[in-house]
Amino acid sequence: MSAVASSPSKRGYLRVPHGLRRHASTLIVYGLILALGVYASLLSPNFLTERNIFNVLRTAAFLGTVAIGETLVIISGGIDLSAGSVIKLAVLMSAILMDGKPENIAVAIAATLAMGAVVGLINGLLITKARIAPFIVTLGAYSILRGVSYTVTTKPVGRAAPGFLRLYDLKLGPVPLLVIFLALLIGAGIFVLRRTAFGRYLYAVGGNEQVARLSGIRVDPVKIGVYMLCSTLAALTGLLYLARSGVGDPVVGEGAELQAITAVILGGTSLFGGQGGLVGTLGGVLLMGLTNNVLVLLNVSSWYQELLQGLIIVGAVALYKQKRQ
Amino acid sequence: MTDPPILEMRNISKAFGGVQALRDVSFSCRKGKVHALLGENGAGKSTLIKILAGAYQADSGEIVFKAQRHAGFSAREAIATGISIIYQELNLIQFMTVAENIFLGREPRNRFGIIDARRMARESAELLHQLGVRLSPSAYIGDLTVASQQMVEIAKALSQNADLIVMDEPSAILAGHELESLFATIRALVRRGVTIVYISHRLNEIFEIADDVTVLKDGRVVSVQPISEVSRARLIQMMVGRPLEEIFPHATRSRGAAVLTATDVTTERLPYPASLTLYEGEILGLAGMVGAGRTEVARALFGADPRRTGKILLRDKAVPPSSPRDAVEAGLALVPEDRKTQGLFLEQSIRSNITLSSLDKLTRFGVIQRGAETETIAQAQRELSISMASPELEAQHLSGGNQQKVVLAKWLQTSPSAIIFDEPTRGVDVGAKFEIYQIMRELAERGVAILMISSDLVEILGMSDRILVMHEGRIVGELSREQASEERIIELATTGAAAETEPA
Repeated sequence: MSAVASSPSKRGYLRVPHGLRRHASTLIVYGLILALGVYASLLSPNFLTERNIFNVLRTAAFLGTVAIGETLVIISGGIDLSAGSVIKLAVLMSAILMDGKPENIAVAIAATLAMGAVVGLINGLLITKARIAPFIVTLGAYSILRGVSYTVTTKPVGRAAPGFLRLYDLKLGPVPLLVIFLALLIGAGIFVLRRTAFGRYLYAVGGNEQVARLSGIRVDPVKIGVYMLCSTLAALTGLLYLARSGVGDPVVGEGAELQAITAVILGGTSLFGGQGGLVGTLGGVLLMGLTNNVLVLLNVSSWYQELLQGLIIVGAVALYKQKRQ
Repeated sequence: MTDPPILEMRNISKAFGGVQALRDVSFSCRKGKVHALLGENGAGKSTLIKILAGAYQADSGEIVFKAQRHAGFSAREAIATGISIIYQELNLIQFMTVAENIFLGREPRNRFGIIDARRMARESAELLHQLGVRLSPSAYIGDLTVASQQMVEIAKALSQNADLIVMDEPSAILAGHELESLFATIRALVRRGVTIVYISHRLNEIFEIADDVTVLKDGRVVSVQPISEVSRARLIQMMVGRPLEEIFPHATRSRGAAVLTATDVTTERLPYPASLTLYEGEILGLAGMVGAGRTEVARALFGADPRRTGKILLRDKAVPPSSPRDAVEAGLALVPEDRKTQGLFLEQSIRSNITLSSLDKLTRFGVIQRGAETETIAQAQRELSISMASPELEAQHLSGGNQQKVVLAKWLQTSPSAIIFDEPTRGVDVGAKFEIYQIMRELAERGVAILMISSDLVEILGMSDRILVMHEGRIVGELSREQASEERIIELATTGAAAETEPA
């Protein structure tokens, strides 16, 4: 196309210092983590110990695992309010199936993850084929699965197999297994978002569904896939809880979806879809975990933790908006 | 021109980032006259108008309106001093009534502070009557035609005691007979002493309605004169900056085999069966008024609207009826009318935008091959001369012309055998426009079949090897390059009368 190449256009694009603005929220969230860390280490000698830091990180694996799924769903322009109820059902289901027997471990894990996948499939089908808004579909699923869980039991049931229970305390050198697990999972998530076609399609569908469709993307499978992934990760979180407590406690998972959404927002992912990522979400998860840890070290009542978390989220988003303009 | 002008914009300059949108522009209007503001997309018309409206502040210059000097306005001040702008995208609230829209934010109150609905209805009816429009003040905006909605906007302007009304391409959203009533209304307004600034690039309209004309090009004023002292050809030349015959690249090949054949296609939005054939190496122009069904034809061909009846063959293979994905796989591409909402992901990288439709080719087990992708992008950038600092930049930072090239680059990766261009040069500056024409012609020369929808008659006449004209949802005529003339197309497009045409 020689004729084309011979007439380059001079005024190409407007030079905008966009890099900094785009990553403002990530910088802010990690800045807050750092500030909070410095503050806490000055305040309490118990903060900056290997034990405490790994404890914070290990606790973050729980919220981190669901928040990964929630991030992907939110990037695709949706939302999943059923994640907490999936965790709840997963912990009950796996505890009952495992029933303290090592030979049941594999079946219990497989069945629990499959349950998650099926919940996600149903959510996805209702959203794409019946064209019901994700908020409504997953709100319904939230309530239904919660109802199912409490119908099964209101008291702790089942029992983890001893080998499974040990996973929680297992360490590689000084590093708890769960911390490595979270790091790998986040790494995999980042890879999916940045380097796979599925990841690109998530941003495309969330950025503008119409353009995605007109670009020849099969939108429905992408959406169904992301809800399946999110629910499966929630079921996985339920398994982590079983490894920690050893029983199927029906209280587990309460409010986890909102915690996850909070972490996603703190990480700077737009609730409108099409923007954001897991580096930010990890920051959100760590910031929330750290806040709790610091308050515990300072002997502040857990009610204040919720209050503070609310203030942080509104404050942080207000700050992001400022920086982006 | 003995009266002092009602509006004088003096030495206005305005830059956005590094781009100088207006350079030392002076613009003045005589009271009670229609002044046409003419120019290509990107010439600076809308920037000038937005400064007048108070939406932008000029970097330098001043505005004198009704003998009052202003350094700049806020939007509120502009309205208060008697300036009203009627944009193409009408600013009306769909689920409110005509009267409620006219008085939005200025509702008359009774002595209890409650909205006086009766007075609102009465005054609205009066205003509409003055405009010679038959509309009920209690009708809902959503139920009205676009033409009627435009009248409501004009009534709203009058209710704000506007002395100057700017109409931004009012005809772009109107059908032929509706234009006549708009002109009647404009004449009624002028008789009352209202001054009109009429923005359009349709020369016929300008010669019919305007008293004076100002031509803008690349942010400068090229010419100001009474319309009676200038010819059509001269106006076009001033707008585009070069004689007509140099703008459009010529075809060197003749058309080849049929690529796409659509027979009696209908969709929900295209109720009358449409048939057309695209040939290898040929650019087929699709002309008609806005709303005549051209975009609907494009969407039907592309599967964007599910097909109800009819058949589409692409290279002798049937295209399934209901999804763009199928159309893309069959070898069809659509460069849509509104790239910002239908063609591009503005907030995503140029990289993602360019390879989005061809990731199948660039992935192994779903993983994107980074090297191959980078190579693809570099090649697209060379071929289409997309000017960008880096492919990682968000697409929104590109100019209109470069954005359009990114959309095109996305499709070229899928090696389409037919491409539909819907208003390919809308919102594209003049320089990039020529480049896009050249790209289109080169694609045709390479054997791609092209369907080009355009509202710009100069573009239709200059680019098309063959022209179809639509009127009210039907394809009403076909003209060969030799048969086609502006008058003939307009006649077909406005009346649907298939006078003196013969099928090719």
